Amino acid sequence: MSDARNAPVREGGPAAPLLAVAGIEKSFPGVRALSGVSFEVAPGEVHALLGENGAGKSTLIKIISGVYQPDAGTIHVDGRPLRLDSPDDARRAGIATIYQELLLFRDLTVAENVFMGHAPRSRGGRLDWKAMAAKTEALLAALEIVDLAPSRIVGSLSVGNRQRVEILRALSQDARLLIMDEPTAALTEYDVTRLFDIVRRLKSRGVGIIYISHRMDEIFQLADRVTVLRDGAQVGTRRVVETSSAELVQMMVGRQIESLFPKVAVAVGAPVLEVRDLVRRPMTKSISLTVRAGEILGLAGLVGSGRSELAQTIFGVTPAESGRILVFGEPVQIRSPGRARALGIAYVPEDRATQGLVRPMNVRENFSLASLAKVARFGFIDAAAETRLAETGVTRFRVRAGSLDQVVGRLSGGNQQKIVLGKWLANQPKLLILDEPTRGIDVGAKAEIHRLMCELAAQGLAILMISSELPEVLGMSDRVLVMREGRLVAEFSRAEATPEAVGAAMMGSQGADAGRAA
Amino acid sequence: MSTMVVSHLRPGEGGALRLFASQEALLAFAIIGIAILVGLYNPRFLATRNLADIVLGNAYIAVAAIGMSMVIVSGNIDISVGSLIGVLATISGTLAVAGVPIILVWLTPLVVGILVMMLQGAVIAYLRIPAIVVTLGMLSILKGGLISVTGGRWITDLPQSFHLADIELFGILPMPVLIMVAATILAALWMRYSASGRAIYATGGNAEAARLCGVSPRRTVVMVFALHGLFAGIAALLFATQLKVIQSTVPPNLELTVITAAVVGGVSILGGVGTVVGSTLAAVLIAEIASALVFINVSPYWIHAVQGALILVTVVADILRRRRRQVGG
Amino acid sequence: MAVLAPEVRSAAPRWLIRHETLLAAILVVALAILGLLNERFLTIDNLLNQGRLMTEVGLLALPMTFIIITGGIDLSVGSIVGLCAIMLGYSWKNLGFPLPLAIAFAIGVGGVAGFVNGLLITRVRVPPLIMTIATLALYRGLAEGISQARSVRNYPEWFFFTGQGEWLGVPVQLWILLVGIIMAGIALDRTTFGRTLYAIGNNETAARFSGLPVDRVKLVVYTLSGLAAGLSAWVLVSRVTTTRSDMGSGYELDVIAAVVLGGTSIFGGVGTIWGTVVGLVMIQLLKNGLALTGVKGDATIIVIGAVLIASTLIASSLHGRREVAG
Repeated sequence: MSDARNAPVREGGPAAPLLAVAGIEKSFPGVRALSGVSFEVAPGEVHALLGENGAGKSTLIKIISGVYQPDAGTIHVDGRPLRLDSPDDARRAGIATIYQELLLFRDLTVAENVFMGHAPRSRGGRLDWKAMAAKTEALLAALEIVDLAPSRIVGSLSVGNRQRVEILRALSQDARLLIMDEPTAALTEYDVTRLFDIVRRLKSRGVGIIYISHRMDEIFQLADRVTVLRDGAQVGTRRVVETSSAELVQMMVGRQIESLFPKVAVAVGAPVLEVRDLVRRPMTKSISLTVRAGEILGLAGLVGSGRSELAQTIFGVTPAESGRILVFGEPVQIRSPGRARALGIAYVPEDRATQGLVRPMNVRENFSLASLAKVARFGFIDAAAETRLAETGVTRFRVRAGSLDQVVGRLSGGNQQKIVLGKWLANQPKLLILDEPTRGIDVGAKAEIHRLMCELAAQGLAILMISSELPEVLGMSDRVLVMREGRLVAEFSRAEATPEAVGAAMMGSQGADAGRAA
Repeated sequence: MSTMVVSHLRPGEGGALRLFASQEALLAFAIIGIAILVGLYNPRFLATRNLADIVLGNAYIAVAAIGMSMVIVSGNIDISVGSLIGVLATISGTLAVAGVPIILVWLTPLVVGILVMMLQGAVIAYLRIPAIVVTLGMLSILKGGLISVTGGRWITDLPQSFHLADIELFGILPMPVLIMVAATILAALWMRYSASGRAIYATGGNAEAARLCGVSPRRTVVMVFALHGLFAGIAALLFATQLKVIQSTVPPNLELTVITAAVVGGVSILGGVGTVVGSTLAAVLIAEIASALVFINVSPYWIHAVQGALILVTVVADILRRRRRQVGG
Repeated sequence: MAVLAPEVRSAAPRWLIRHETLLAAILVVALAILGLLNERFLTIDNLLNQGRLMTEVGLLALPMTFIIITGGIDLSVGSIVGLCAIMLGYSWKNLGFPLPLAIAFAIGVGGVAGFVNGLLITRVRVPPLIMTIATLALYRGLAEGISQARSVRNYPEWFFFTGQGEWLGVPVQLWILLVGIIMAGIALDRTTFGRTLYAIGNNETAARFSGLPVDRVKLVVYTLSGLAAGLSAWVLVSRVTTTRSDMGSGYELDVIAAVVLGGTSIFGGVGTIWGTVVGLVMIQLLKNGLALTGVKGDATIIVIGAVLIASTLIASSLHGRREVAG
């Protein structure tokens, strides 16, 4: 999708782009992650990558850094076609990635971390410490970092400094293309400014940067071009000077909201859960909300906005430090999941594999995991009751498994999710907290789960639904709350909730395109 | 997905100073402090003869603790070292009595030690059997093997040349102290400044990241155990060559003392942290405490209780410290 | 191996069933061979006597099975036995407790010792390995310190009934062990407690997220281990008529070997009491067989050590690490 309007910003003739990917396709079992994405980065360009969660950004950069291989499409580096079959190949081609979870060794020094695995050696094969320190100094100077010495222990550094060590490490391997994935997510204002300085310096050295961020103001300050992905496809590439945040948001989220299942209006009843000024460091910073019987409350926000942390605080996994929780109007203390369960709260976690299911156990055992007391008398499990419970669940939720003895680890994502849901519903909860209920699930199972949610709401259950998929949030919720960086920043009624409004609140982007830094 | 801020307990900055950090300073103070306190209570504690006994007689534990520290830093553990030392001591004694050239008498335990430990390391790294199981099994094989082969006989009539530990270099430096100090310094420098030494910290600290950086955790573990075997061999020599008679049994609970020295010396049981200078100081401290108990009229039967309490306190403190430094979940 | 209505059997991939039946088959063969090699072996007298000797380790192996299923370990059991034995003698002789009270006291001390293990493991999150290595030293040290290496003797006649007596022709302690086996087996197979143990061992996070009382259950199993050690100490003292501070030394090897041999995975999540029983019997018979052919007691630990490593190796290759499919 290249036309003159979207050509790289640099003057100086048609230099071959640093990186050019074309027609990239990638599918995983059950889901098409990327369909025909083309994308270019010129030397010295900052090219931002924008998209909702699940849009395909992380798959794309994993392909570029050699972790995945595309099903179709080409990759060119400096105009030459390349195959990147492993992270090593990408590294040799000059591509380096700075991840959010930094891979550093706390006990070693800056220089050791920078050169781990490729340290300069002197004759005899011993490590050349002097060379290591000198080279590190040189890299620091190139980026004009003055407050970091090669001999400092990484474990004692701030997050901002550690990130700089990662950047140094990439540079030490002569990276010419740097991929930064949400680099400012954990940084202070000061560190963000310094990061920008470094990015500008890298630009002037001709390093190309792929910059993934949800923060509009950053994109407008730093990037030359921006590419928007949506549902695995490329919506468009724009030069930053020629677009606005409104247009970008529209490209990110604007789509037909097909009703996945027509929502039935349900009479909303009394408050089931009320939360007042709930605090739990570091991600929950004074939250207040109410969920009523029969209501589906959608909680939207970017990954890392603190929604799962909030859910886990309400559920007692990481108990609140201050604030109040009321269930049916009664103040309660929830210090453990067992207590939450006893109060009628259920939590279907975000990561069903590690948090929701015991994968080596079979269907029957997983179904009863949260309601053992129900199928036991005096502590002894009643095999018949347990079987009945499981059979009911399998029928009701249409779980497709060979038998009740089937080990759940082998079932599909959709079926696994239904079991987790069923396990909790067996308890007849009053409040159901769903964390990304249809993530990684095929369309058919998605629809079933949505229908189930509507049924449950009609029966008087209160539902708090955390989701990063805007269509789901907008289609299913009676009200939508938006969280950002640990706080609630917006509330919309069903009528008010439009993709643009909610999307904008998620990213805090009102007015970001005004006043772009020079 | 926010990164956790885990700042390390060591303030450590600067190159050489890194060898000395808060735990080591604490130990040094403890050693001096106890010496003063007990000396005030019973001045005979400070008699040169006694102090010399403490250090000379227990230098071998410090040496063994060097290897143990490396093993723990790499994220593993070994409880077979006590039995191994017993076996190696008996081997050297037997060879000495049989008239084998003295240099072989001293070298053989080293080689055997390296081989036995490397075998364990390989099983742990490549067959992925947990270290506790392998070393527990090996402990019994060695212990039982020693008894059944020797029948519990004592080895007497050791030739004069055998007693390595009695040698004093230049007439004043006793071998045990010399070896202990030299081994500690060399090992500390090696771990700090060599690529393989760094690999041990990397493997114990974050094995996945280590692999992504080109370090092989498996080879590192085998290497660590081989070194551990070497130090065990040296320790066995120091141990055996001080004795007039070698009882062919395993010194009871030796592995516990060695582990205590490593852990109290600052090696974190969670892997990736710790120095050998600390473990040597801790070994001296433990020996000092054992002697002090006698001089303040506490029955020496309490020494194991003290050791256990020391490990417990150190480990709990270490874990609490780490947890407090993590912000949130 | 009776049993387990398949629908209630927890987390039992097919290989485990094979493992146990395989083991039972080997047991039968071993019995036959040893019987042929030595005519004293298969006599009722000898077998019952082996049962008697097996009890002390057997009682410890029951809670150890629970603990290893949850993915933990308890290396301090031998030391707790020693501590309880000493406390039994000490409280009777030095503190003047009436003997029945001394027995109860000793068992209580064991429970407290186990409780301390569990407390620090769950509250402070000390890894079980290092925690129980530390208490292995601490509790042994306490035993040595309190007893000052003096032994206590001259217990009254009735005291020896537990360790040396018989009821209906079967040694008393074997009855105790049998009761323990049945209770532990049923608890593991058929109760919510047992199900919780398997859940913790397979996926502690998911167990917690499902509202299961993970910390409380862990505390219980370590306390049970301590109590079992106290019981074992009572049986031991009653059998050898004296208390010494080195009692129980080395028990942890036998116990863990029996549990692992019996099919409990050292990585957690898999195991049964019935398997542990078979493992226990096999090890005892091995020791007996070796003794009868003239191998001295100390040397048998070579074999036990080898058995431990070998059975872990075999189990590990049969089903790989406890990585989950799917």
